[in-house]
Amino acid sequence: MPGTEALTGGGQLWRLKGPLLVAWQMTRDCDLACLHCCTGSAPGKRLPDELDAAESQRLAGELIANEIPYVLLCGGEPLVVPHFLAVAMRLGRAGVQLKIETNGQRLDAALLQELAKLPIRSVQVSLDGDTPEVYARQRPGASLEKAHAACRAVRAAGLPLEITFAPTRFNIHEAAAVIERARSLGAFRFNTGALMRIGTAARLWQRLQPSAQQYREFRGLLERTAVAMAKEPLELCYTPFSIADALRRSIVDPPATLLVLPNGWVKVAGALPQICADLRRDTLQDAWTRYRTAWCDAAMVDTVRHAATDEARQADANAWQTDTVVAYN
Amino acid sequence: MTQATQSTQSRQPATPSASGPRKLSDKPRWETPRMEDVSKEVIAQPYIRFT
Repeated sequence: MPGTEALTGGGQLWRLKGPLLVAWQMTRDCDLACLHCCTGSAPGKRLPDELDAAESQRLAGELIANEIPYVLLCGGEPLVVPHFLAVAMRLGRAGVQLKIETNGQRLDAALLQELAKLPIRSVQVSLDGDTPEVYARQRPGASLEKAHAACRAVRAAGLPLEITFAPTRFNIHEAAAVIERARSLGAFRFNTGALMRIGTAARLWQRLQPSAQQYREFRGLLERTAVAMAKEPLELCYTPFSIADALRRSIVDPPATLLVLPNGWVKVAGALPQICADLRRDTLQDAWTRYRTAWCDAAMVDTVRHAATDEARQADANAWQTDTVVAYN
Repeated sequence: MTQATQSTQSRQPATPSASGPRKLSDKPRWETPRMEDVSKEVIAQPYIRFT
C-alpha cells in the first residue's frame, strides 16, 4: 500500500508537538543571480505577496510561543530583507537558536556585532569556488574577496562558520581547494552534495549538471577527505548525497522540519511543490498538524516516491500547488 | 535522544484507514521539541544544506 513506510515510521514527527527546525525563506529576492540557485532567486525576484515586517514579527512570535528550538533564516538572500535583523533579534532574545544562510556579500562587522548577541548556531556562507573566475562564473556579479572577508568577520565576531559548496561542471574541480579554504577559515562544517535540480538550476540543468565521471571523482574526494580529516574540527556533511536519497529517507522517517516560503506558505517537502498550510491563515499548530497529516496521506507519499525515482519531477518544486492547502484541512 | 525512552507503541501511529489520512488528535501526549533532538539527520537534509 502506498505510504505504508511513512505511516509506520517511528520518528520524531509522530511524538513532537511542533517542528524541531523551521527553515524560513524570508524572501525570494537576492542581490545575486546564481546559476545553480534552487529557489530561483535573483535581483528583483521578490514575490509580490511576501510577509511584511508586521506579519514576520507575528510569525516570529508564534515560533517563540510554540517553543521551536531552531530557526533557519534564509532566502533568497535574507540580508536584503529590511526587517531581517528585527526578526532575528526577536527570535534570538527569546532563546530560539538561529542559523543564518547568506552569500556573504553584505555581511559586515556591524551586523555581526548585533548577531553575536544572539544564540547563533551557524552562519552559513556559500563558497562555490576558490578562484575569483570560477566563483564569479557561477555567481555572476559576486565578489569572492567579499565572501572570504565575511567568513573571516564571522569568526572574528566569535560566531560559528559553516561553508556550503554547490557543485556544477564549472566549479567541481575546485572542491578540494574550497574544503581547504573552509578549514583555514575556521569553519566547523563543510556542506555539499549533488546539485539539486530545482529553481534556476533546473532551468540550466544541461549546462550545469556535473558529468558522471566528475561526480565519481567528487565522491571519492569527499570520502578520502572525510577520513583524513576525521580528527579535525571541520566536519564534512554530504549525505544524503542527493534529493532522491533524502526523499527515500523521508518516506521512512519524515523530517520534523517545516519549510516556510516567503509568503507564509508551508511546503510538504523542499523538493516538491505541494503546500500544506498558509501561515497567514493557519496557526503554526495548524501547519504542524497539516504537515503530519500530509505525510500520512498515501497519495502524497506516493508522489514523494515518484519524485525520488524520477529526478526530472523535482524540477517543478517551485511551482507551488495551492490546491493541497485545501486538501489537508 | 528522548526517542529511546518512548515505547514503540506510543511512537507509532494507528493503522491508516483506506479512506483517508490517519487522525492525529487521539495522540496521548506530545513532547516539546528540544534543541538536543535536532539530529545530524535534520541538519543534513539537502534542501536545508543548500537553501
